[in-house]
Amino acid sequence: MLRNYFKTGFRNLVRQKVYSVINIAGLAAGIAACILIFLYVKDELSYDRHHAKADKIYRVTRDFVSNDGSVSLHLGHVAPPFGPLLEQDFPQIESIARLLQTSLLVENVEKQKTFREERIMFAEPAIFDIFDIPIIDGSRERALKEPFTLLLSNKLADKYFPGEEPVGQLLKLTSTSSARVTGVFQSLPDNSHFHPDILVAFNTLNDTAVYGAEQLRTNWGNNSFGTYMVINSEQEAENMQAQLPAFMDRHLGGTDHAGDRKPSDFSRLYLQKLTDIHLRSHLDSEMEANGDINTVMILAAVALVILLIACINYINLSTARYMSRAKEVGVRKVVGAEKHDLVFQFLSESILIALIATLLAVGITELCLPWLNEFTGKNIGSNIFTDRWLLGLTLLLPLLVGGLAGLYPAFYLSRFLPAMVLKGSLSNSSKNPLLRKTLVVVQFSISIILIIATGIMFRQLVYMQNKDLGFEAENVVILPTYTTLTPQFEAFKSELKKSALVEGVGRSLLIPSDRLLNSMGASVMKGDSMAQTSVTIKFVNVDHDLLDVFEVQLAAGRNFDRTRATDDTAAYILNNAAARMIGWQNPQEAIDQVFAYGGRKGRIIGVTEDFHFESLHDEISPMVYMLSPSNNYTNIAIRINGDTRQALAHIEQTWRQFLPGYPFEYSFLDQLYAETYKAERDKGVIFLIFSCIAILIACLGLFGLASYTTVQRTKEIGIRKVFGASVMRIVTLLSKDFLKLVLVANLLAWPIAWYAMRTWLNDFAYRIEMGTGIFLLAALLAFIISVVTISYQAVRAASANPVKSLRTE
Amino acid sequence: MSKEDFIIETQQLEKKYITDTVETTALAGVDLRIAKGEFVAVMGPSGCGKSTLLNILGLLDSPSGGSFRFLGQDISHASERQRAKIRKHNLGFVFQSFNLIDELTVEENIGLPLAYLGIPRAETEKRVKEAMERMGIAHRHAHFPQQLSGGQQQRVAIARATVSNPSLILADEPTGNLDSVHGREVMSLLSELNDAGTTVVMVTHSPSDAEYAHRIVNLFDGQIVTESLNARKHAAELL
Ligand SMILES: Nc1ncnc2c1ncn2[C@@H]1O[C@H](COP(=O)(O)OP(=O)(O)OP(=O)(O)O)[C@@H](O)[C@H]1O
Ligand SMILES: [Mg+2]
Repeated sequence: MLRNYFKTGFRNLVRQKVYSVINIAGLAAGIAACILIFLYVKDELSYDRHHAKADKIYRVTRDFVSNDGSVSLHLGHVAPPFGPLLEQDFPQIESIARLLQTSLLVENVEKQKTFREERIMFAEPAIFDIFDIPIIDGSRERALKEPFTLLLSNKLADKYFPGEEPVGQLLKLTSTSSARVTGVFQSLPDNSHFHPDILVAFNTLNDTAVYGAEQLRTNWGNNSFGTYMVINSEQEAENMQAQLPAFMDRHLGGTDHAGDRKPSDFSRLYLQKLTDIHLRSHLDSEMEANGDINTVMILAAVALVILLIACINYINLSTARYMSRAKEVGVRKVVGAEKHDLVFQFLSESILIALIATLLAVGITELCLPWLNEFTGKNIGSNIFTDRWLLGLTLLLPLLVGGLAGLYPAFYLSRFLPAMVLKGSLSNSSKNPLLRKTLVVVQFSISIILIIATGIMFRQLVYMQNKDLGFEAENVVILPTYTTLTPQFEAFKSELKKSALVEGVGRSLLIPSDRLLNSMGASVMKGDSMAQTSVTIKFVNVDHDLLDVFEVQLAAGRNFDRTRATDDTAAYILNNAAARMIGWQNPQEAIDQVFAYGGRKGRIIGVTEDFHFESLHDEISPMVYMLSPSNNYTNIAIRINGDTRQALAHIEQTWRQFLPGYPFEYSFLDQLYAETYKAERDKGVIFLIFSCIAILIACLGLFGLASYTTVQRTKEIGIRKVFGASVMRIVTLLSKDFLKLVLVANLLAWPIAWYAMRTWLNDFAYRIEMGTGIFLLAALLAFIISVVTISYQAVRAASANPVKSLRTE
Repeated sequence: MSKEDFIIETQQLEKKYITDTVETTALAGVDLRIAKGEFVAVMGPSGCGKSTLLNILGLLDSPSGGSFRFLGQDISHASERQRAKIRKHNLGFVFQSFNLIDELTVEENIGLPLAYLGIPRAETEKRVKEAMERMGIAHRHAHFPQQLSGGQQQRVAIARATVSNPSLILADEPTGNLDSVHGREVMSLLSELNDAGTTVVMVTHSPSDAEYAHRIVNLFDGQIVTESLNARKHAAELL
């Protein structure tokens, strides 16, 4: 009997080729998209979970509170003294390690291989007790114990010592010091929130030339030390968290702070779970760019939506298809089929087809996975057959979807008395039952919401990319600078400027697109005495030329002047936001005011127009620019004009002349800026792609349904034509019903889309107005799509020879 | 005749169709008894309720009133489930429009009733083959209905109706879509089945088809107006 069912099912599929293809392809595409998103989401959720103690590992974070009580900064790293003090004060800490990530030039002197390594980590030996970092070569016992020893990741071992035994070799880390390789560790997997390439013994930092033991003990301001620990129970962690303010007051008592506030009033420590770092931590300093739980949730929702659309489609088309099998049902009943026979037949057929679609989807997934990996920079394996969840999903899905699609015809058709189904009266009386209408509306609403969301996301992205930043970000080349260069900087600059292609050269501590994290206390003259302002002002060290290089406009006053020696230590330039927030009515008022910053007193010599130093995610913050007599700069900014390639060649040549052996690494300021939107852009593109898939599937469904309805009404169309109806009138007749549904779908979709996108836009400090345009556009698009699909079918049916359609019986 | 000798017994059988606002009385009190082994023809003008009567007699539809005994068992209030069981074991149908499943071949169509009876494959194959041979369509066994002529399709339908050896065959205008030559063929097949002991109830518009029956029931406006024995047929049988 089963054979008989499958034969009927299969032959039906073949007979209704178009619907079958649409039906199966739609479901397969939906499931494939869903599996891909599932893999992505699962990878995002798996971050840092591979460590055996993952659930017991915590990171210490620190925030700073402004005088007005708002959190001005929340860092994922803390000052170096905290680690040992925490260990000393809290017995519940099982092990604790400090990690300092930095970038250095590393040289294999013998082989003359020099690379800039961005992920060098000074680490205490306890790192191996906390994290699972397998040591694959060298001694675990001695690892990171002695100063000036290091471990290389297996990747780097090959880079510096190809074909050689790395253990025992020397690597030059700075111009003055070298360290010995004592082992090789296995690089951390991709789904880890940090990826050290080199682990250097932490006690190397005790060396004054490197950092200094005194500094490690007393520098409360250098919050760049990742501090990780193992605490055995959540309860103990909570206890400890509660005691942290007292801990702060105990140890920071000696350091200066404003007025009568306790240390714990202006800076607090927190314990953050390791497993929260990747998705739930958006702190102002992180080792690497993190993911975002919202993105993950949105994508998961998109996956569900796509699946929903695909399933609705499948159910819709299947039931439509099954209606034409009323006669078969009648005949089967006549020759002896009982209800359960029919239910079983339709269910098994429907599930089998869904299963075929699922297998197809698995194939599609395999094909698309490399693309997803390339796009997301991930390395997700296609482990459909080893992943319990995925396997379960792929087995359950056809059962569920097929089951739902089969239930309707199974119970609906088998319910009728055979005399009725045989007459075929069913298919006429229920051309568009409420269920199917509802499903079409749901499907279209979802598509419209996706169109609107995608549209708004892209408009926001375009807006951010095109927004006037307030300075000229184009044609600025950024280079790192090294202390070696400092004494010869003037010579370097004049060599660069020999070319007409170089317009200006300046240096700064930070470059636009960097986060502004550093601030110090600021005071202004109030009456006769200096008073601390409550405004948090971020500082950037710049040299005399930098503001000119960036072409920043001055609202009042002047730029730094080489001829005035006092500028070096006693001149400040504020941005307009700072001047305004401090309380000056206009920029001019601020000029020549006495201003103290970080305890250093001077005068305000200029106020710049506001510009976007940070990305558009953040409001323009109050800023102060000052010169750094100690040359505390990290970047060189060069404005070029004319041919970029020639200019770069000239810059590189000059670089090689002054800094032989140092890698020439440059970036363009506008590109750095663009990178700050990379997450949004990627998100936007992913969203766009999956929205398109969803919309496509919805269209497939509409197309199938429209053509099905048209076929059903072929006879009616024929008769109408015999009696003189024009093609146009018939098209209108057929489209009317569907267009009504599309209209309803729009009315449903608009408020949902509006609410969702308002929430999304609220995350941006600078954002577009939603407007009605995109809503109307989405509606128009939905209408066009449906009119085109329906018209195609309707015109085909309407322009056929009426005799042909009448004969269809 | 004892009660058990009637395969069908109806009293005041009624059928009303209610559509939206209109109520149509298709059967208005039909008293009919059909003995085992009989060949009955139902005749009457279009719309008088012939098909309706046949559908109810064949348990494809339920009556709105009156009583209906099938093989001595009252089934006027039987559920569709019970009716399906009785249909499966006792009834065979032949329709004007053949009603074959287009996606199944000739032999698959014929084997369908046996499949629903749960008869094993080998046995099914044997009986299907016999039925096809009897109907002279064995050479067409692998064809699909669309590839056959109307007469051939009707023979397939008869083969399907008889393959499970039902005690009653119901035929609704079995020759309605056929030319006279093929019509006669179909009638002689039904006649042969009847000779072999199967009860046949047939709806027809053709007096010549009615000639094959023992008895002709004339329906008008949902009621039996006349019943006449077919003298020739009886005479022939007496010979
Ligand atoms: N499903 C139905 N719904 C409503 N009325 C129906 C239905 N089926 C039949 N009728 C009505 O019942 C009456 C009897 O119909 P039936 O099909 O039994 O006639 P018939 O004698 O078989 O006619 P014909 O010789 O044309 O086949 C008719 O008036 C018909 O309109
Ligand atoms: Mg009829």
